[in-house]
Amino acid sequence: MEVSLTVNGRNVSSDVEPRTLLVHLLREDLDLTGTHVGCESGYCGACTVHLDGKPVKSCTMLAVQAEGADITTIEGLANGELHAVQEGFWERHGLQCGYCTPGMIMSAAGMLAENDSPSEGEIKHGIEGNLCRCTGYHNIVKAIEYAAAKMRGDEPAEPEWEVSS
Amino acid sequence: MSIGARTKRFDGPSKVDGTALYPGDIPLDNPLHAKVVFSNRPHARMVSMDTSSASAVPGVVTIVTAADVPMNEYGLTMFDQPVLVGVDGTGRSAVPSDISRWEADQIAVVIAESIEAAVAGAEALVVAWEDLPIVPDIDAALTGDTLVHGYNGKPTNVFYDYKIRRGNMAEGWAAADVVVEATYEMPHQEHAYLQPEAAVSYIDDEGRVTVKIAGQWIHEDREQIAHALDIPDDEVRVIYPAIGGAFGGREDMTLQIVMALAARKVHALGIDRPVRSVWNREESILGHHKRHRARVVTKWGATFDGKIVAVDADVYMDAGAYNYTSNKVLGNFHVAIAGPYAVPHVRIDSMAIYTTTVPGGAFRGFGAPQAGFVCESQINKIADALGLDPYEVRRRNLLGEGDPTITARPLPIGITMEQVLEECATRTDTWRESAAERDVRPFASLPPSDSAVRTGTGIGIGFKNVGFSFGFPERCEATIELGGDSDEYDSATVFHAGADVGQGAHTVFAQMAADALGLPVEAVGREMSDTATSGDSGSASASRLTWMAGHAIGEAAAVAQKAWGDGDRPARGHYRYEPPSSEMIDPDTGEGAPFITCGYVAEAVQLAIDVETGHIEILRMVCVTDAGRVVNPLLAEGQIEGAVIQALGYTLTERLVVHDGRITNPRLSGYLIPGVADIPRDLEVVNLELPDPQGPWGIRGIAEMPMIPCAPAVIAAVHDATGVWIDEFPLTPDLVRKHLRAAGIT
Repeated sequence: MEVSLTVNGRNVSSDVEPRTLLVHLLREDLDLTGTHVGCESGYCGACTVHLDGKPVKSCTMLAVQAEGADITTIEGLANGELHAVQEGFWERHGLQCGYCTPGMIMSAAGMLAENDSPSEGEIKHGIEGNLCRCTGYHNIVKAIEYAAAKMRGDEPAEPEWEVSS
Repeated sequence: MSIGARTKRFDGPSKVDGTALYPGDIPLDNPLHAKVVFSNRPHARMVSMDTSSASAVPGVVTIVTAADVPMNEYGLTMFDQPVLVGVDGTGRSAVPSDISRWEADQIAVVIAESIEAAVAGAEALVVAWEDLPIVPDIDAALTGDTLVHGYNGKPTNVFYDYKIRRGNMAEGWAAADVVVEATYEMPHQEHAYLQPEAAVSYIDDEGRVTVKIAGQWIHEDREQIAHALDIPDDEVRVIYPAIGGAFGGREDMTLQIVMALAARKVHALGIDRPVRSVWNREESILGHHKRHRARVVTKWGATFDGKIVAVDADVYMDAGAYNYTSNKVLGNFHVAIAGPYAVPHVRIDSMAIYTTTVPGGAFRGFGAPQAGFVCESQINKIADALGLDPYEVRRRNLLGEGDPTITARPLPIGITMEQVLEECATRTDTWRESAAERDVRPFASLPPSDSAVRTGTGIGIGFKNVGFSFGFPERCEATIELGGDSDEYDSATVFHAGADVGQGAHTVFAQMAADALGLPVEAVGREMSDTATSGDSGSASASRLTWMAGHAIGEAAAVAQKAWGDGDRPARGHYRYEPPSSEMIDPDTGEGAPFITCGYVAEAVQLAIDVETGHIEILRMVCVTDAGRVVNPLLAEGQIEGAVIQALGYTLTERLVVHDGRITNPRLSGYLIPGVADIPRDLEVVNLELPDPQGPWGIRGIAEMPMIPCAPAVIAAVHDATGVWIDEFPLTPDLVRKHLRAAGIT
């Protein structure tokens, strides 16, 4: 089946089997391998991308369901320079192995697009659908707080280690 | 100074913009696709395998079977597993190749033009099996009715054991005023790294069989591949691209050997194309080893003033179908049963037992978490029985410098258990005074009734040996090349094989090199994790890599500096570090000094428990470690936080269900690792940074310690809240309710 959509601002058309998942279209046909597959059951969130600006899990969607949609993947998030969430994850060490990171970032960016002043609880709620096995989430929350401040145009809070020492 | 700096990880940008390449992401020119076929038989003899239908499936290129494995045996510390189960084995191994002893024993690799064709080919394999009796657990194994490895000549499924005989047990019991007896059951744990296994293989320009994969020790991978292929090590090349977590779960082979076989077979057919294989989550959970489940039957005696005088224990560790690293895990488990305490009279018998279930193997802590659960639960019960403060009873038993352990030798110099314990005591001093929060997030749709919520606190402590132990010949190599056009060098490149599994090892290597060379860290380039460019580093495991690499890099820097001074251009320095040797313990008495050095940890928790639902919420948690001098606190704190949450998962939610030799919940929807909503409201991580006198820059190790005392601390807190001791976990609500109900809390 022919599917046409916009991916990272580029119009793409691809001939896919009806059963092809969106994540496989992105990874295999478009070589956008930053979107990861961790569980194939919608549970881990490593495959999170934006569909018309909202985070979705691309392993539980058929490619053909994205017909006409505007998809943004981790590769399309930066605009010349790193997106504030990407910067936050590096600055505040919100990643270790990094496999969950693209999905985690896409979920966080989607949340912050709707609410740039989330509480800690709202941040946690926003990434409840994303699993990380390395970090214990603490620095992920801090990274998103950093990004929220940047997106509001505020100076991010001093890191904890500066505050405590 | 680069040591102690919060240098941001060098791979950060590539991991936040999606360009980091994990094995399944590597762009390939016209690849073939491989499907690894599992036996799907926990215990069975293969009668026949007909590949003709599978070969005829359109798109199938070739099929790798046992006949393609020159030396069809695998094992990190003993060869006891066929690489591929099959009737047409070469017969060159003592291990019979025709028996599947585990549902995920591999039987074939179908290589095809597409993933779909490879899967279709796998489904078209015609295999006839003669089922053998399943040995589902240690109780069945200990009857000896069915031998999992009968060919080894032993009339039992117990294949490895250790002993400790110290003092005189009769004297010990005579001196005891209180005796605490229990049987503890420790569960499996699945690593659940987010990146499922994947690999790429091909023949490189120099004719080497090359495998790109996520692992923990490239030279061991290379050695195992070379052994099975029966070729020299230098005809094999292993490269690690980005690694999506490991935690011990990538220490044994999954795709390494079979993908090397695949590349070679494709090449032999005159096809010059790379092969890729990517496992899904189910294949990952079914197809790699787990933290060992185990049972310990134990009895401890103590005096009224809290001195432990006798420890008696039988350790039954389920090794599963193959040894993997079980004999080594068992050693660690065995000598850690009495924890960091001095005990004069000890009898311990520990055994590793084959069953026809998923193999046990390396997982963060390597036997120490199981031992720690037993030991710390016992000492918490002794404190409770004697009405003593749990900190105080520990103080009265701690091993100091020079004190003999239960293996009759002291721990390595630089023991800091006491300082770690006291720091934890200080940090939790105010917990009992402050009114504990009594609200618990509702587990059910209705908030809990006030009377149902109770709170409690608990503590556990522990230590972990850094580095392979028990006489294993440790080593770590590093090479440094200096660059610059003037009299002074102004840049360097570090060549190192060590695996960056996510912990940030490659950043830390550069920091150590920068410090040793007096260069800014940005001036240090990195050539990492390729057997073609680096010598053997040993594994990223046993909390050892920074300690060993620090020694090697520091010395290599000195060699390179001398070469620079001698006028060599480029100036290269290579060093192979070999630490002071450790000892295997005596087989009859357990005497010996098995460790090189150790790190120390204490953890305290405060929790709320809803006794009506069994739901537990961790309110506060403190983790005090002594990882020695820390190269990069940013990375170290993150690693400790992650380890604590992994330990909470082990304690509270992660239940692997193994029934009749099969894992019945091999998915993340059924095996529950912690999500962000599960983390404690308040987690404090403290690192004392007391220098290890033997460590480079005073470094000890970080990775494993926080895994050890979490479960006993949580269980002590549950007891504090409810008066009920629970000798098993994970503390899922149904399990908690079972124990509360049995204790009359309804």
